[in-house]
Amino acid sequence: MKKIIYICIVALLAFSACTDDFVELNKNPFEIDDESLKQDFNNVGAFYPPMLKNLFGHQIEHNLSHDSWVRHLGTPTPFVGGINNTTYVIRWNTYWNRIYDQIMSPATNVIKIAESENYPVFVEWAKLIKILGMHRLTAYHGPVIFTKFGEEPATYDSEPVLYNAFFTQLDEIQSVFAANQDYVGLAKFDASYGGKMDQWSKLVNSLRLRLAIRLSKVDPALAKTQGEKAMSDPAGLIETNGDNFLVSLYGDVFPPVTISFGWGDTRMSASMESILIGYEDPRIAKFFDPATDASLYPDHADYPYKGIRNGAELNAKGDRLEFSNISSDFKNVTNRRFLTAAEVHFLKAEAALRGWVGAGDAQVHYEAGVNTSFEDWGAGGAATYLANDSNLPIDYDDPKATGAVNDFVNRITSTVAWDAAGTNEEKLEKIITQKWIDGYTNSIEAWVDHRRTDYPKLPFNYKNDSNADWGIIPADDFLRRQVFLTSQRENNASSVAEATGFLGGPDEIGTKLWWDTGGANFN
Amino acid sequence: MLKKLLVFLVLIGGSHSLLAQDKTVSGVVTEAANGAPIPGVNIVVQGTTNGTQTDFDGNYTINVSEGSILVFSYLGMKTKNVTVGSSNSINVSLEEDASQLEEVVVTALGIKRKEKTLTYAQQTVGGDELTKSRDVNFMNALSGKAAGVEIRKSSSGPGGSTKIQIRGSKSLSGDSSPLFVIDGIPMVNNRGSQPGLWDGVDQGDGLSQLNPDDIESMSILKGANAAILYGSQGANGVVIITTKSGKSGITTVQVNSGITFESVIETPDLQFRYGAEGGAKESWSYTRGEYQDEYVDKYFNTGEQYFNSVSVSGGNEKTQAYFSYANTKASGITPGNKYGKNNITFKQSTKLFNDKVKVTSNIILAQEKTDGRNRSGYYNNPLTGLYWFPRNLNFYEYKDNYSLFDTTRNVDVMNWDSAIGGPDHLQSNPYWILNKESQEDKTNRIIASMNIEYDITETLKFQLRGNYDYSVKSFETKRAGGGNTTTVAANGNWIYKKYDDTSSYFDAILSYNKTFGDISITALGGGTYQKTDFGNGVRVNPGAAQKQLIYANEFNFNNLTPIIQVSSILDETSEVEKQSLFANTTIGYKDMLYLDIAGRNDWASTLALTGNDSYFYPSIGLTAILSEMFTFPEIISFAKLRGSYASVGNEVPYNKIFPRHTINADGSVKFNTIKPFIDAKPEIITTSELGMDFRFFGNRLGLDFTYYNINSQDQFIEINENFFEYTSFFINAGEITNKGIELTLNGKPIVNEDFSWSTALNYSQNKNTIVSLDDRKVDGIDQGGAEGIQVRLFEGGSISDVYGKKFLRDDQGRIMLEDATDRPMDTGDVRVFLGNAEPDFVLGWNNSFNYKAFALSLQVNGKFGGIVVSQTEALLDGYGVSERSAAARDRGYEIINGVRNGTAVTQVDPRDYYDKIGGRNGIDESHTYDRTSVRLAQMALSYNFNVSSIDFLKNASISLIGNNLFFFYKDAPFDPELSLGTGRNNPGIDNYNLPSTRTLGMNVSLTF
Repeated sequence: MKKIIYICIVALLAFSACTDDFVELNKNPFEIDDESLKQDFNNVGAFYPPMLKNLFGHQIEHNLSHDSWVRHLGTPTPFVGGINNTTYVIRWNTYWNRIYDQIMSPATNVIKIAESENYPVFVEWAKLIKILGMHRLTAYHGPVIFTKFGEEPATYDSEPVLYNAFFTQLDEIQSVFAANQDYVGLAKFDASYGGKMDQWSKLVNSLRLRLAIRLSKVDPALAKTQGEKAMSDPAGLIETNGDNFLVSLYGDVFPPVTISFGWGDTRMSASMESILIGYEDPRIAKFFDPATDASLYPDHADYPYKGIRNGAELNAKGDRLEFSNISSDFKNVTNRRFLTAAEVHFLKAEAALRGWVGAGDAQVHYEAGVNTSFEDWGAGGAATYLANDSNLPIDYDDPKATGAVNDFVNRITSTVAWDAAGTNEEKLEKIITQKWIDGYTNSIEAWVDHRRTDYPKLPFNYKNDSNADWGIIPADDFLRRQVFLTSQRENNASSVAEATGFLGGPDEIGTKLWWDTGGANFN
Repeated sequence: MLKKLLVFLVLIGGSHSLLAQDKTVSGVVTEAANGAPIPGVNIVVQGTTNGTQTDFDGNYTINVSEGSILVFSYLGMKTKNVTVGSSNSINVSLEEDASQLEEVVVTALGIKRKEKTLTYAQQTVGGDELTKSRDVNFMNALSGKAAGVEIRKSSSGPGGSTKIQIRGSKSLSGDSSPLFVIDGIPMVNNRGSQPGLWDGVDQGDGLSQLNPDDIESMSILKGANAAILYGSQGANGVVIITTKSGKSGITTVQVNSGITFESVIETPDLQFRYGAEGGAKESWSYTRGEYQDEYVDKYFNTGEQYFNSVSVSGGNEKTQAYFSYANTKASGITPGNKYGKNNITFKQSTKLFNDKVKVTSNIILAQEKTDGRNRSGYYNNPLTGLYWFPRNLNFYEYKDNYSLFDTTRNVDVMNWDSAIGGPDHLQSNPYWILNKESQEDKTNRIIASMNIEYDITETLKFQLRGNYDYSVKSFETKRAGGGNTTTVAANGNWIYKKYDDTSSYFDAILSYNKTFGDISITALGGGTYQKTDFGNGVRVNPGAAQKQLIYANEFNFNNLTPIIQVSSILDETSEVEKQSLFANTTIGYKDMLYLDIAGRNDWASTLALTGNDSYFYPSIGLTAILSEMFTFPEIISFAKLRGSYASVGNEVPYNKIFPRHTINADGSVKFNTIKPFIDAKPEIITTSELGMDFRFFGNRLGLDFTYYNINSQDQFIEINENFFEYTSFFINAGEITNKGIELTLNGKPIVNEDFSWSTALNYSQNKNTIVSLDDRKVDGIDQGGAEGIQVRLFEGGSISDVYGKKFLRDDQGRIMLEDATDRPMDTGDVRVFLGNAEPDFVLGWNNSFNYKAFALSLQVNGKFGGIVVSQTEALLDGYGVSERSAAARDRGYEIINGVRNGTAVTQVDPRDYYDKIGGRNGIDESHTYDRTSVRLAQMALSYNFNVSSIDFLKNASISLIGNNLFFFYKDAPFDPELSLGTGRNNPGIDNYNLPSTRTLGMNVSLTF
């Protein structure tokens, strides 16, 4: 009898005592760990492509935000009752989370691994990707969390602190890249440059120049120092299309293709129609498909394109679906522009106007910018285009709206041809207007330039629903920034309050960022 | 069928055979204990309807024939049968029947205990209560039948999931679902994914696969005290299902056949007199017209449900067996929605070795298939387009020609966008969806279990059990290309998921039972081993992929573009192994005092590496049967007090300790940015409960009252903060309490010869409080929600607190209007408290009336308090199709108690007003309703045929049945108990849910 009990108890204990397999069981077998990734040396590099891919957002982050604010693409869709980001009422504000979740956080971890495995180039590459992402995010919000990232509480950097941190880190990055020009370790994971370090070095210099020009009005001394450093660095700049920094789509469809052809939510902007057709710009065929209804463009029958006014009064989405789609060529692209030779030429042209050493001649770079852009977009006829000193952008008529609704009169008085006798202000208008055209599909820097220089002279919103909730934009002004996130306002309130102090104005869409100084572009 | 009909005719024809009544018998009925006469005793001649009652002095007289049997019955007394002999006088004394109190109930691990010894609250519901009304989702029938059990059903129709919660939400993670147990062994009730606002469909749960006719009874253990032997799984209460078994010596064949019809109770209140202007999708014209108004009602079908089951049971002293087969076939109210289920159950038990060993095995097979399950939410839901269709257009043009031929692509495309002025991602042609977007869910399941009981000695018993529960589930959605341009890719989309749910369970229990004089001891000890592996399979989910399929409308793996990942998947609750040792002792003194002590130690794999993977928790309870200890006035027939305390550990979810990286479709690796939770601890849920059970008037009135206080600590909380190397991390923090009372009142107000009425009232209330969260989360935790409607947790708040936008009002409560328009102002982007989705209290009132061979049961369910928010109504306003928006246009203005710049405003422009309060960004307050509803939840009227003259038939009955028949009271313009999903994230949110339905039908039951 007792024996049986004894056996039973032993039996119970026997099967209740083995917990050895718990650790293995509690792992998801379909996930992969650092140890496994060490095979074939994937333990560092495999994390880079998703970070690069997430430099760009999708519909609500870009297409319905700055693509519209800077008038590159317009939407036929009256989202949320026609009251949304494009009419200056913030409905969507999510780019922030993409940058922090998909870039800042993983990059911080990857840097640790790369450091422990002693891969200095990978360390600096991740730091560079962080700046690539953060310099876009600060163009939205102004103050962001960068140098205090990882600290508690997470406080914001003022823009001066932020840009100085960018420049300091670019110094470190460039010195490591310079010392490792023969390094081939990135090749397997680098869809942009195939691991060629000399091209990454050129990107670092070009990015520095881009940032320097941003600050050229607000902090001319710092801007000049950094701009000249960028232009004098032995690694050089991206000055030919072969060096363009393009980010792979990693097999995905180019987001504007989905938004345009798939969802019917984006079309050519009225401003693109006005400027490209007015200037008789051959790139128009590379940017857009013709409108599918010939009755839409009676005022320019030779140019079968039609755009939608940004901030338009829209009734039904179907009204403007026959307007110009983005070009069908984009259906086959495998990468997208991030920083190109044309932009660098335009940066140098502006630097020349500002008298920065090493910038060269403004006209040379302006024309090189246009030529390089034509080459990049596969368009011909640049010489004729550059010689045109009479054409101006055209006025816009919305064929789907009655009367003057959505119509605008062109405000641009500058032609394409360089005028050596012009003032710096007039020259800058040409440079920035061309930079704006070239920045198509990569519009954050165009949006920065527009706020900084007020060029090109774009039309204001026809429909401006801005209100006290997010700040009021006057009828003759543009949205100046994206507000801080509601989740930040709620959960990180003291930091947001401090950051609002850095802004020097309320946390609203009408408050200007640091480098958005207003006034003349030259003293 | 014909055969059945014949049987019926025979039944009806033969049920009233007359018996000779050749003699008069009289006598007096007295109480055995004191010889007092008993008035009102029922006396029936067995097998007939011939009967009488004793008078005030206990005297009776009846005409009978010699040899027949008189049945004396009286509530609270043991029934006595007396065969009529030659004497004309039969005096009878009845003994008090304690059996109702000696009632044996099934408790944790299948252990049978006398109800009176329990130290905690439990309630038993008979299997017939679940099958009475033939609800195709039989669990819904539990609603109102047990105090404190909260049931919410999904709106997805037959085979849909049910949310069951006992005593409130106890945890921030998981959904506080109780554990389901079949014959002592935990069963898998793994809920498939739930619909959200944008997509998805209810994927059912594990309960619907059971055959309700196999259920003998259901015991509900409400607290951790009762469930401690199940460990953490029982922390949310346990529903113990006892299945039917064969009985020795009796061979029974039972046939059940039912048919019910399901119809819509109400669709939203829509207008059909103002159309759209300028090709807009919104019907906001101010010009009245005469438009089609019947196509919404015509869209819905009458659902039909056929239920047939047969069971055979029988056996001898050594071996008993039970076999059943059931088939359910149903069509829902949505065209094309079909449901089919087959169940086979085989259970047998055999005694071996001089009856010392009993081996029981049970195999349950289930096959379930659902086509076109109803969706909720905005995307790919036929109801949005159906309700919003511009009123001035011809609906039938789009219904009859839902598809157009696109010659540029040589494919069919949806015909809808021309009606609504271009594509709208929120709506599609409803008939395109019905015909071109299919949904098929399948489940095949086997539950096999074995139980070996060994009576070692009179007092010592050993039991060994094992169970293997395996199901294969597949969910497949095929959406043809050419449909909604935003939600469906040009070549179509294929959403496919197939996975296995596997659970293995073993336990061994040694129990000891002995009485020493006044002291009785019941002790048991044992161990369990359980391993679950849920949702292990593959998935293809294109998300927003436009390039999913290479060739249009071919839905299989071969047709996937290279960027589409075929994912290996595992459920969030998957791959868990738990082991435990437990012991429990009940010491009784003189049948009046019982002390119950239990303890359990768990080892949980989800806590591996934390050092906390082994944890112990105890419980203690005490019961005093006062009526045994003291002498009470006669009206009190039984009195008991009980109290208990238990603490239960709850392990963390799977794979949270060391999550790793994930491989992307493009071959890169997404770095894991969820922080390893290496110091995780189990959540601790502590419950105290006090209860009493009083019975009066010879048990004709019973009152059971429980107060409980549940305290949950060390909640497993995920914090999302993306400014660290980790974007989210987990903490153990916070404290949640649930305090409440449960009250059950049973009574038999009328017990007559021909007529009796018994009634039961179940009342419960629960107050959930979030006492504290983590310090850093004083700002609240987002639990979910839908668009602007947020479910947020704050300290001092409750789980299921709903936040949204309200009207901005001045200090007189007037709605403030914008300066230049008639648009009301709202409280802004930071959402304000709208209310809590849980009811304040719940009432269930169950009545049975018996009149001769007729029986009528009525179940009234009431929920009082709580809120529901309707995005359906908000969008109907925004689209100008709600009746109120038309009534305002009829009138020329909307009436408002408003103010603009200090000036009172009483009339505003309808469009300005509804455009602002409605739509996806409206003012939620205006579409928030009281959840209170009182309904006739169930009705069954049955007739028992007299089959005494038919040898082969033991019982035959026919019943008329109905579910959800009508509302006595309801505030919301829809059924507030239907829910978008049955998960925890969007309580009380209606987003294009299917309308609520009633079912009516009949059921025939024959026992041979």
